Amino acid sequence: MIEVRGLCKEFERSRRAEGTVGKSRKHRVKKETFLAVDHVSIEACEGEIVGILGPNGAGKTTLLRMMGMLMSPTEGDVVLTDDTGNEITELTQKKAAIGYLSGNTKLYPRFSVREYLRFLGELYGFDKEMIQMRSEEIFRVLDMEGFADNRIEKLSTGQTQRASIARCLMADPRVYILDEPTLGLDILSADAIIRFMKEQKEKGKTVLYSTHYLEEAQILCDRVYMIRDGKIVAQGTPAALMQQTKTDNLRTAFHVIYDEAGGV
Amino acid sequence: MMKKIGILIRKEMLDILRDKKTLIMMILVPIVLYPLLIIGMTFVLNSVMSASEETSYTVAFDKEYADTVADLRELMAQNPEEFEEDVEFLAMDGKGTSAVADATLRLEEETDGRLRVEIAYDSTNMNSAHVCQMLVDVMEAYRQKLVAEGLAELDLDERFLYPVICTTVDEVSEAESFGVSIGGSIGMMLIVMILMGALYPAIDTTAGEKERGTLETLLTLPVTNFQMIFSKFVSVAIIACVTALLSLVSLAGSVLFLIFGVAGDMVMEFGFSAGTMLGALPMLFVTMIVTALLSSALCMCFCVFAKSFKEANNYVTPLLLVVMIASMAGMLPSVELDQKTVLIPIVNVSLMMKQVLSQQFSFALAGVANLVNLCVSILIIWFLAKMYDSENILFADGFRSFRLFVKRSDVKEGTVPDNGDVMLGVTVLFLLLIYVGSVASARLGFWGTAVSQLMILAVPLLLVWYMKSDVRSLFSLNAPRKRSVPGSILLYMGTYCLIMVLSVALMALFPESMENVELAFSPMTEQPFVFILLVVALMPAIGEEILFRGLMFGSIRANWLNRHPKEPAVKAAVYAILISAAVFGVFHMSLVKFFTTFLLGALFAYIVYKTGSIYVTMGLHFVNNAVSMMAMKYPEAVGKVLPFLMEEELSVGEIVGLLLAGVLLMALGLALLEGKRKKAG
Repeated sequence: MIEVRGLCKEFERSRRAEGTVGKSRKHRVKKETFLAVDHVSIEACEGEIVGILGPNGAGKTTLLRMMGMLMSPTEGDVVLTDDTGNEITELTQKKAAIGYLSGNTKLYPRFSVREYLRFLGELYGFDKEMIQMRSEEIFRVLDMEGFADNRIEKLSTGQTQRASIARCLMADPRVYILDEPTLGLDILSADAIIRFMKEQKEKGKTVLYSTHYLEEAQILCDRVYMIRDGKIVAQGTPAALMQQTKTDNLRTAFHVIYDEAGGV
Repeated sequence: MMKKIGILIRKEMLDILRDKKTLIMMILVPIVLYPLLIIGMTFVLNSVMSASEETSYTVAFDKEYADTVADLRELMAQNPEEFEEDVEFLAMDGKGTSAVADATLRLEEETDGRLRVEIAYDSTNMNSAHVCQMLVDVMEAYRQKLVAEGLAELDLDERFLYPVICTTVDEVSEAESFGVSIGGSIGMMLIVMILMGALYPAIDTTAGEKERGTLETLLTLPVTNFQMIFSKFVSVAIIACVTALLSLVSLAGSVLFLIFGVAGDMVMEFGFSAGTMLGALPMLFVTMIVTALLSSALCMCFCVFAKSFKEANNYVTPLLLVVMIASMAGMLPSVELDQKTVLIPIVNVSLMMKQVLSQQFSFALAGVANLVNLCVSILIIWFLAKMYDSENILFADGFRSFRLFVKRSDVKEGTVPDNGDVMLGVTVLFLLLIYVGSVASARLGFWGTAVSQLMILAVPLLLVWYMKSDVRSLFSLNAPRKRSVPGSILLYMGTYCLIMVLSVALMALFPESMENVELAFSPMTEQPFVFILLVVALMPAIGEEILFRGLMFGSIRANWLNRHPKEPAVKAAVYAILISAAVFGVFHMSLVKFFTTFLLGALFAYIVYKTGSIYVTMGLHFVNNAVSMMAMKYPEAVGKVLPFLMEEELSVGEIVGLLLAGVLLMALGLALLEGKRKKAG
């Protein structure tokens, strides 16, 4: 299970100070701090797909980066527990328990997928047969046998995304954190990824993912969190949110909730 | 831990080696470029020289003096070995300059019967310069011939004119002159080759990874920052080593090809025997590896901040310039590898190469130089791994650990300078002291020291002004509690006893360095004692305390506390004490003084930590310097009061006594200082 409590992240941004038009250049732009993630509390359990929904700039990626141990929070904690309910505290063990995937987690272009998986397997401490076995299984499941030995720089977008999924699968993590995994993919590749998420859920893994595609979230997610300006504005099952807003799909529900929270 | 590093190194190597650009830089450039350059240059040089040998020259002269010129031609014909060139003499009217001739002889008979000769030539034209030199020699031979004829008329011989025969003999060994003439440039070439070898992979594994977006993936894997940085560092160093080796082999191959192939006699004139250098080879090999480590660390230090190849290239340009200039040290005739220069990275390698090639090789100094460079590389890597967590590397806009790069109007009140700012300040100060300080000392003598001291005070003050820091808490500008003063004094006295024993031991180990120290201070003793006290005791007591115990100790401690809020505060103090003391030690630019100043620095930082007041250590620092200045100025008087202070060798009894006294005083002082804490708490 992964849980965050009161998570905050402070960033700096430049802003033109008010009433300083025409003054010297030095004073025109002021640096100020703001909370990209503002006291967010989330939990995701085993066998659950949890969706993080919100427009660009809402703070989804920052939140997921903190949960993926790539950024340290300004305030608050990320708690990760193992099967027995004990907290995992060591940073490398936390990273080993999380499979993190985003648009920015690219793969080494000069490696083939097979070489990449071997490198990962060695890093996770698997032996040779184990690496061989797992790689073959992953290639079969993701239908990658045709391009497993090609260099990653030669792969298409969909093939690359499947290679990224393969990367996450190799470590067999407890928690998947996927930042817009279906963004910009063709129907076949996107379906492969949705299938992958469902399978992991059935295996009892925790899947946490962010998306813009509300139709996809409606059928896939057990629960969703809606984020606006770094704050959670709504949470619950898709059905409950639709009921609460008296709508029949998540997209309309989203608009209603956002309008109530102050307009999109 | 090691296994993961091994896996990561293998990955980095594979990634680097599959990049065509790296391979070109690594293999093609050294293997093809150097031979092409060297052999090509030699061929061009040879062809130019042989072309000039075959040319015939023309010399114009005033036809009025045709008889004199006829004498000259006869003289040249008599000595065909000396004047072998084919010279054609061209008669012309008047004393103008001929456009077609390589040189013009202007002859003029003076009223006293002597012949005045003016040789007009063009110094930018090789043929003209050559024929001019030949004409000078011809004229000299002509003069001697006339002198001999004149003497013969008077029944005298040469002994009358030249009763003294004076010649010069250059006694420097051929190897030495070889080392001095080209050892420096070979050292520079080697350093630059290694740096070039490190540069590209350093950019590729840091900024390149960031640009390709693979770094974020790497950071999701279960590896620590140290493992990541260290494996990158080792991979870059391996590539740098291989590049350097290839360059060396290709360079050596080209030179051998020249010796045995094309221009044997030309190169052999240096009389350089490779056999005598074999002994230095293992050390050379070690030096190359250590230099590769150092270059890799330096390159990575800059590239880690960059977000893209382009940015990284911009960052390393100043580094390249500095390293190039530093590696030219070996070309300076009077700079040698000694106690001081051995401490400057890069410069020490350059000087060592000069030593090796002139076959005056000191294993001890070479060892120290390598040790220094190794330590610097490890420090840089450790620093990188500590300071730049994944967030800083990935998401920050460049130099985030330098708050100095923020506009002052955006700096918040009470900002503590970051460790990067402090190090930058100290580096700038160090350069100022080396360049401005040494010029000031040369121009102003004793008062130049005062200028240096003012700079030491000015740099931290400027820094905290820019940062708008809370000076009172950062510099510990608090009045000490009365009861903590005696404890501090006792502790200082105890430490001083230990330092005395230590410096006697160091003096025995490095006898020559102590003489250097005395030499450096000797011009000062001529000044009135008040001035000495002011410049050598009072100013350092304020400036160095503000810099090391104020800015450095204060900032490092505050930053550490800020970054590790959950850890005990004592740890922050320990880090800050050790680091500030180490920099204080290095700052004194002497291998021997490092140990004693380190101890003193650690002691002072500890006292500031315990008493919360910098005034106490300012007082102690003043007393410390004043006492040693007194010992310099009035050795006899001090010798009467404190005899052991003046001795250069201590008896066993004195050593035991000093050690005992030291430990006792320290224990007493510690008990007083620590005890106070408990009561107050």
